[in-house]
Amino acid sequence: MKKSSLWVLAALAAVLVAGCQNQRAPAEQAVASAEATLTTIRDAAMHYAPDQLQAVDAQLASAKDSLGKGDYKAVLAAMPALNTAIKNLSDTAMAKQQEAQAANDKAKDVWGPMSADVPKMVDAIASRVDILSKSHHLPKGVTKDSLTAAKSSVDSMKSAWGDAANAATAGDFSSAVSKGQAVRDQASQLMHSLGMTSG
Amino acid sequence: MPDEKTPASDNPYTQTHLVQSGDTLSKIAEKYYGDATLYTKIFQANRDVLSDPNKIRPGQKLRIP
Repeated sequence: MKKSSLWVLAALAAVLVAGCQNQRAPAEQAVASAEATLTTIRDAAMHYAPDQLQAVDAQLASAKDSLGKGDYKAVLAAMPALNTAIKNLSDTAMAKQQEAQAANDKAKDVWGPMSADVPKMVDAIASRVDILSKSHHLPKGVTKDSLTAAKSSVDSMKSAWGDAANAATAGDFSSAVSKGQAVRDQASQLMHSLGMTSG
Repeated sequence: MPDEKTPASDNPYTQTHLVQSGDTLSKIAEKYYGDATLYTKIFQANRDVLSDPNKIRPGQKLRIP
């Protein structure tokens, strides 16, 4: 090879390296920026769109992998799709968060009357179970086994109601109402089995 | 669940019994509890309307705790 050709090749290589170096800073900046944006929405995304977050994390990991290998061109080529995915993830998480907030507000309205009502059902049942436990003969329709089951149910209802109340105290009214409704349903069933629904 | 129990008088879920002619607290206790001797429970829950366990009138609505 002639000396002049070697010079041309060296010059071309220098241009390529310089070109790559020119892409390094934008690539690093783009990845850092995407990562920072993702950090701001990560908690909400983890809660409301975990699968979508996983896919975005994979895209980011791929971009970081390319960055580590010095393939800045690939990094920059992947950024539009990654940024779009992050924006979509953010939109989804925010929409679901707002939905959950609206549902929680609605549940708060339900919790008010429920929190006054259900403990009274449980108290009425506990009182009846307590009296029946002192009875020498059980009334028609109530067996020793059903009374034993009722005693155990009163304890479990009290415990479940405690969980519901704790959820409400923590501001999670959707969960509180869901747990409270389960106690209400159990109480209704128990009142029926103890013959407390007829006059 | 709060420790204070709702008194039967304030509890809409306390069962009620409409007194019929011939009813006694013992008979009512027998019906709901299977044990006539537990009539005092009904008497205590209805002290606001009953002054004597032997005196109940048809038409009275009694709470059955």
